Amino acid sequence: MNETKVGAKTEKMEWQYQPTSTHWDEAIRPSGMPRHHWRKLYTSIGRMGFAQLTRRWQTGQHLIQTNGITYNVYGDPQGKERPWSLDPIPLVMDGQEWAKLEQAISQRATLMNHMLGDLYGAQRLIHQRQLPAALLFGNPNFLRTCHGIEPAKGVFLHTYAADLARSPDGKWWVISDRTQAPSGMGYALENRLVSARMLPSAFGQCHVRPLNRFFEQYRESLLNLAPNRDNPRVVLLTPGPNNETYFEQSFLARQWGVPLVEGADLTVRDNRVFLKTLSGLEPVDMVLRRMDDSFCDPLELRGDSLLGIPGLTQAVRSGNVAVSNALGSGLMESPGYMAFLPSLCRQWLGEELKLPSVATWWCGERATRRFVTANLDGLVIKPTFPRLGHHPEFPAYMDSAAKQVLLRRIEADPEQFLAQEQVALSTVPVCTDSGLTPRHVVLRVFAVWDGQSYSVMPGGLTRVSIEANSPVVTMQLGGGSKDTWVLGDDAESSMPSDGGRTRTYAPRGAADLPSRVADNLFWLGRYGERVEAGVRMVRALLPGLSSEEDFGHTATIQSAVQLLTGLNYLPEGLDKTSISQQRWHVGRLLSGMVYDPSRSSSIGWSLKNLRRAAWPVKEWLSQDTWRVLQQLETEFSVTAPVHHELRLVAEMNLLDRVIVTLSAFSGLVMENTVRCNGWHFLDIGRRLERALQTADLLLTSLVQSPFDIEPSMDTLLQIADSSITYRTRYFTEVKVEFILQLLMCDESNPRSVGFQLATLVQHLRSMPANLQQQGSADSQDEEHLPLLLAEKIQIMVQQAVLEDLAARDSDGNLAALEELLRTLKGNLFDLSALLTAHHFSHVPISRFKPSF
Amino acid sequence: MLYQATHLTHYKYEEPVAQCLSETRITPRTFLRQRVLKTTLEVHPEPTVLERRKDYFGNHVATFSVFRTHDHFTASATSIVEVTPRPETILPDISWEEAQLDFAVHLDDISLQAYEFVFDSPFVTSSFELAQYAHPSFPAGRPLAEAVQELSHRINTEFLYKPKSTSIDMPLPEVLQQRRGVCQDFAHIMIGALRSLHLSARYVSGYLRSGADVQGAEASHAWVSVFIPGYGWLDLDPTNDVIPSDGHITLAWGRDYGDVAPVKGISLGGGKQTVEVEVRVTPVQAL
Repeated sequence: MNETKVGAKTEKMEWQYQPTSTHWDEAIRPSGMPRHHWRKLYTSIGRMGFAQLTRRWQTGQHLIQTNGITYNVYGDPQGKERPWSLDPIPLVMDGQEWAKLEQAISQRATLMNHMLGDLYGAQRLIHQRQLPAALLFGNPNFLRTCHGIEPAKGVFLHTYAADLARSPDGKWWVISDRTQAPSGMGYALENRLVSARMLPSAFGQCHVRPLNRFFEQYRESLLNLAPNRDNPRVVLLTPGPNNETYFEQSFLARQWGVPLVEGADLTVRDNRVFLKTLSGLEPVDMVLRRMDDSFCDPLELRGDSLLGIPGLTQAVRSGNVAVSNALGSGLMESPGYMAFLPSLCRQWLGEELKLPSVATWWCGERATRRFVTANLDGLVIKPTFPRLGHHPEFPAYMDSAAKQVLLRRIEADPEQFLAQEQVALSTVPVCTDSGLTPRHVVLRVFAVWDGQSYSVMPGGLTRVSIEANSPVVTMQLGGGSKDTWVLGDDAESSMPSDGGRTRTYAPRGAADLPSRVADNLFWLGRYGERVEAGVRMVRALLPGLSSEEDFGHTATIQSAVQLLTGLNYLPEGLDKTSISQQRWHVGRLLSGMVYDPSRSSSIGWSLKNLRRAAWPVKEWLSQDTWRVLQQLETEFSVTAPVHHELRLVAEMNLLDRVIVTLSAFSGLVMENTVRCNGWHFLDIGRRLERALQTADLLLTSLVQSPFDIEPSMDTLLQIADSSITYRTRYFTEVKVEFILQLLMCDESNPRSVGFQLATLVQHLRSMPANLQQQGSADSQDEEHLPLLLAEKIQIMVQQAVLEDLAARDSDGNLAALEELLRTLKGNLFDLSALLTAHHFSHVPISRFKPSF
Repeated sequence: MLYQATHLTHYKYEEPVAQCLSETRITPRTFLRQRVLKTTLEVHPEPTVLERRKDYFGNHVATFSVFRTHDHFTASATSIVEVTPRPETILPDISWEEAQLDFAVHLDDISLQAYEFVFDSPFVTSSFELAQYAHPSFPAGRPLAEAVQELSHRINTEFLYKPKSTSIDMPLPEVLQQRRGVCQDFAHIMIGALRSLHLSARYVSGYLRSGADVQGAEASHAWVSVFIPGYGWLDLDPTNDVIPSDGHITLAWGRDYGDVAPVKGISLGGGKQTVEVEVRVTPVQAL
């Protein structure tokens, strides 16, 4: 009610927002009125009211979670992903002002590309003394091995990004250049997707320029720069799932329909780059890298990195593959070059530099050094060549002793330091718990080579500081982000065409599935099944621990001891001890299986491995699947109650919950995964593991138990989740033969070995023919094909004569059954090894020892 | 002097290697005092691709790949090289401080080239400790040529030549502390000490004439070249405390070992590996 009243007096409605007078505010003029280009948004949000905005924001947060938009924080190897932080109020940019920025960014990218061409070629800039040689020779990002390599069409810089800041007089400045592997454009697109949904009417009224054309252009330019072929294959090279912007990398790969690959997925042969897929080696023409160039080739670049692709540099040199940005482009990220841009721009492009860089003084020159030492307090001191772990220093906040130390360091190594003016960053309203407050803003803008010049994304990634008076703006330290609305005219922007939805491209399918991914999916299947088997077993055995007499079909403590001894979980001879002793041992073991992830037999252990297999293939799993996996982990991270009876109840409850979560996992995998080769491998893993688990169970409960199998049979059937089927079919009669029929041979029982084998054979048959014959050249031997082995095992089980197997020999043993089950197990292990050898090439690379 | 130099590098693997890529710098370069008359390079197993080029520093590089399963790998180069003795000119008496300034200003292309070797490189990072180590040899106003000869002499006497006492990955400060190593370490220490004083020094890899009473003839050798304004590059061998003349054959030069490693490579598989190197340099009669 309240809101509608406010809405009625829209024009008078004011934001409860008070920017500081010392900084430029993006939204509000010093008079307190909104800036012209902010009016529509101002009105729209004003009409909505703060309460409604907060609700919208919550929806936005929810969208971020469902889309799985995350950002990894470094120094946290277990992959602490932080949900992406997005503020509901976008940064609005005036269309005319933007047009100027666009030209300026395009000009700067052109200039930087020229500089790269010169420094990796004739080096006239150095010989003619237009650029201090120290800025090249001392730059660790100057990759000498890349000198003389001419990239396709002379484009070193395919993607360029710049961080912009606005000073109190309203002028924009470039505060840093990104030329290595600029990140952020994927987050910008995700921000658009969310913000357009949060504020649909404002978005429509403001005629926000759409982003989709830029992303189309980007994809096209990748194809155009690829050498040689008509239908080039592009891959996106990621450093791996622990990289801070891994989410963005997988998002962009999906957006453009290109495979997301790690270094080990690629190989170089005959100076050509290939993707190792399940169907063999597929040529790659363009590598869009999100890895620093020095890591890209352990042979010619950094020898201590095994992340990259040995031989990549030589392949590039031969002109067989393009890399974006060209190897060596990281050079231009040094702020040391900034001071020289205006004169170079005049000389090369015959025009003035359209957008100034933040004032920069490189200490390698005597005159500027003198200026820096005399004006220390007003400056920020930075390393000339940025590297990880080197942070800007603020002399204004130092005591005189610290300043002296800094000055001495500068004198000792002047080329390594530069000073920059500290821009008083503009502010922008940010939605916080206490209402709208001003935060500092840095805008990252992106440009891509479009064939003739550089096209600039009409938008960008706006980042805001975490606190109102913090001068540092970085996502690493927990800052937030905003969508960037560039106002256009009615013609260009239209709501339905954008909202972050751009055309997506289907990947090439099977041929693009890297073997590494298939391998992880296979193990994901195996560990998922192993977790489930563990849960079922503990759940079937736990009731035997309660001190009351057994009712009906619950397991007795003796059969639990027998089973666990047979599985080697308990030492031999425990069955000779007293019942209470046995109970104590079993209780302790089962508790450990539930709560102690350090035991390799525990559920927690399998769960850890499940996560380890899932993490690198995250983008192949649906968001829901991923969430279920996370829920499993949370469920198991509780500590056990101390009191043993409480613990029993807690364990029972936990396992009941977990079994449901696990079914959700299998259901999602079955229902939500495309039936591609990847899915086949996941299910092959599951089936193989389940066949193994069931074989093991039969072996321990039938073969290794004493004459009377009746007590352990209940346990067996419960673990195998087949009690009801058994009772329906065979009533209460307990016979080894029946059990074997149900759990081993019956191909219609989803829990039987036979069912798993039939499914395995089906999967292997459905693989493309060339896939079945892959493998190392030396072992093209037909006998070594996984399909043939699987068929052999299946026939062995189908042809088993149950009466013979169930017949005891003169010693009262089931020797024939034991032999069959042991052969079965052995064959299944062989099948797993064969699959690995065939489809997943795992050979680690190593470096030659140094020789002298 | 005319020499035949043979350089053989042999890798043996515990497990089969499916493929390998390698980059070698084992063909000597030609320059003012040295002429390569004939050179061959053999690789076993037969490589699929072999390419030759010159690197950034003008050294001869051969890159090749082997794509068949193998358990050993051999690269051997044989060259006939003519080396003329270093002319007996008097070294200029430019002081080390003047030289320092000369690099910093680098008025001509020669000193610009030398300037590149003033900067840190992956294996050689300048440090206060290295500057301090150099200090006794660099009193104010001392001619650079004199100072560097003394530095080379000091390294030769103050460091123990001890094969296998270091690995190439050992950080320079540690080598400085333990005062022992092989020719690569001696060269890196000297280069690091000079760069810590903003002087220009490069790393030279090559061979020694065998037989003589010298260290490092059994494998490839390494020494240092220092740029002396008004003279050019002056080689110094701290391992043997000599100024190389026609007993040293130059293979390649760069900023440090990493730029000129004779054999580098990446193998797929292989497990444990052992490497053997054999260098033989014999004087030959005119062809």
